[in-house]
Amino acid sequence: MSETRRRYQRFPRAYRIEHWLFVASFVTLAITGLAQKFAGAGIAQGLIGVLGGIETVRVIHRIAAVTMMLEAVYHIGAVGYRVFVKHSRFNMLPTLNDARIAIHSFLYNLGLRKDRPQQGRYSFEEKIEYWAVVWGTLIMVLTGFMLWNPIATTSILPGEVVPAAKTAHGNEALLAVLAIIIWHLYHVLVRTRNKSMFTGYLTEEQMLDEHPIELADVKAGTATRSVDPKVAASRRRTFLGVYGVIGAVMLLGIFVFVTFEKTAIETIPPAEQVTIFAPLTPTLLPTLRPTNTPAAEAPEATSPAWDTDIAELLTTGCGACHVQATLGDLSLKTYADALKGGKSGPAIVPGDPDASLLIQIQSKGGHPGQLSADELARFIAWIEAGAPEK
Amino acid sequence: MRIRHLVLAASATGLVAIGLLFVANAASARSVQFSPQPQNADNEACLACHATPDMRTQLPSGEELFLTVDRGVFEGSVHGKAGLACTQCHTDIQDFPHDPITASTRREFTLQLYTACARCHQDKYDATLDSVHQKALAGGNNEAAVCTDCHGAHDAQPPDQPRSRIPQTCERCHSEIYNLYKDSVHGSALIGEGNPDVPSCVDCHGVHNIEGPLTGPFRLFSPQICAKCHANAELMSQYNINTNVFNSYVSDFHGTTVVLFEKIAPDQETNKPVCIDCHGVHDIRRPDDPASTVGSKEKLLATCRKCHPGADANFPTAWLGHYAPSPQKAPLVYFVDLFYKLFIPGVLGFMVVFVAADAGRRILNRRRGPRHE
Repeated sequence: MSETRRRYQRFPRAYRIEHWLFVASFVTLAITGLAQKFAGAGIAQGLIGVLGGIETVRVIHRIAAVTMMLEAVYHIGAVGYRVFVKHSRFNMLPTLNDARIAIHSFLYNLGLRKDRPQQGRYSFEEKIEYWAVVWGTLIMVLTGFMLWNPIATTSILPGEVVPAAKTAHGNEALLAVLAIIIWHLYHVLVRTRNKSMFTGYLTEEQMLDEHPIELADVKAGTATRSVDPKVAASRRRTFLGVYGVIGAVMLLGIFVFVTFEKTAIETIPPAEQVTIFAPLTPTLLPTLRPTNTPAAEAPEATSPAWDTDIAELLTTGCGACHVQATLGDLSLKTYADALKGGKSGPAIVPGDPDASLLIQIQSKGGHPGQLSADELARFIAWIEAGAPEK
Repeated sequence: MRIRHLVLAASATGLVAIGLLFVANAASARSVQFSPQPQNADNEACLACHATPDMRTQLPSGEELFLTVDRGVFEGSVHGKAGLACTQCHTDIQDFPHDPITASTRREFTLQLYTACARCHQDKYDATLDSVHQKALAGGNNEAAVCTDCHGAHDAQPPDQPRSRIPQTCERCHSEIYNLYKDSVHGSALIGEGNPDVPSCVDCHGVHNIEGPLTGPFRLFSPQICAKCHANAELMSQYNINTNVFNSYVSDFHGTTVVLFEKIAPDQETNKPVCIDCHGVHDIRRPDDPASTVGSKEKLLATCRKCHPGADANFPTAWLGHYAPSPQKAPLVYFVDLFYKLFIPGVLGFMVVFVAADAGRRILNRRRGPRHE
């Protein structure tokens, strides 16, 4: 069979651009979406890491989703224009004939019919693909809205629709991806190497093979209906008016979809409000158990006495000269000794710190065995309190 | 005369020998002090003064340092029972009078001494060097816990006998948290019943290398701390608690995000909740307890609103409460799932069959020759 050089334009540039834009958003959605659905898998986690983390992946997913929604708005407008203004046939619509053709085709494949059925511009395989995409996109947009705006959704519907939407969204995505691979890619890449979505053209052989009825129409000149320019112009005006409104509403809808709800606050509040360091009192000490803790945890509470407080003040500094020895005839070994005093007089005069030699000498300073200011103050306080022995 | 010389020489040698023995004994006694092995300790030399009741000295800050060591308490402690000598910890005390105390406050005194624990407990000490207490200490907070604050010094006992001792130890500095814990489902079981299955402070926070619980990485890791028990079917079945809690959390939006953050960017903060954000930290109650944060619809809504201020009454039911969807719990989810379990293989099955038949027919046609195409 000779190869004809004639070729037929199947997809003008606008169609092709639309298709590839859709492919780009679909693939992006599939990758970022399935990585989230199967986030437990190592490969998904690797991919999410490479893409910049889960929050970035979600943002990418949403951007691609909005792109797809905008394409849908464009597509509705473009198809509407073709059908209502240019009066093209809406030949993507499935008919009963398509069902008959599908069965015939299947039986032919099984060897139960002698020839393959003849198809028009869009074969039943293509119609299945198209309407599956329409159905899928609708489901994904609807469930996607519920996942994106759960607060808005649950203000009207019961809460359970959100997890139901989640499972529908993920499952539909899986179905869509696998259907594209098994059905669409088979038919355009494996069955024949169909370049029409790249170049826009099919050869006559390909047209004969896949769309013979359309080829006949084209050759007979009945493929496109001509429209009177004035009629077309008036239809265009009407259409732009109507679709202008519908399109604007849909775009507004997408805008609302995206910006409407602030689902959650940015920073999570602390899980607990509590004072971390809240020590018990009295503080327990390593060298003493509670039972031995004297009540004088605050020494100011009990009044000082020679036996319990004062005597020990004297041992370190004064002991060498006035306990182990008795320089100046002064012994500070016992209470009585201190009161007796030495050569110069009594060291301690109860109630009168100024008359107490010990205070006088210590206040002057320069005496070996100097009490600290704190210790001296305690001494004075004790003397003022009457210098009790016990 | 020779005999006299001999006797003199012998006694001189003898005296020198005895003297040397004393010196050697003293020297070797000193070297034994540095070994971690308990020796036949003669602590009487120390206790002669330090067993005096109410013995104390004053520090430059005005605080009093209590110096009494109760003989009975020490001998009943783990170190006393092991027969340790005072000087094995108080290694700087060689003679009497002791070197003067250089610490100016009681706390400083403790901080000078506690590192002695490392001599025998090096591994535990090294672990504390990474802890939040040590970091606080290094940052200038002298109140942060050191070994003796939890274990005591002369009265050290096994810290987990009974197990309720553990939270009561932490209570000394974290009393507000303890008050929350003791009424919680875990705390009341541990302190009230001595239940071995519930966590004490150290089961969640660690023991010596206690990590600060307020850090991002700890928060992201915390669901796995809960999962240690709550994903253990055997343990949970004794209390009739659903073990699906961890899996259901991880497979849903919040948990998936947290797990991914933990794996990919553990230092980053995320605004998705972990277990403690909804269930409480130290005041966790059983869901059927009216004080629980997740028990009733109203309580759950209040909890959700912490992060979702716009949420309405229906919002909390979007969360399936750690249950897998079933015809009884979340039937809508269950049946949508079931639908797809049938729909997907159905559709794809049809496609595969058709595509296979189509491919097969074309291959067959090609083989048979051009007139069959």
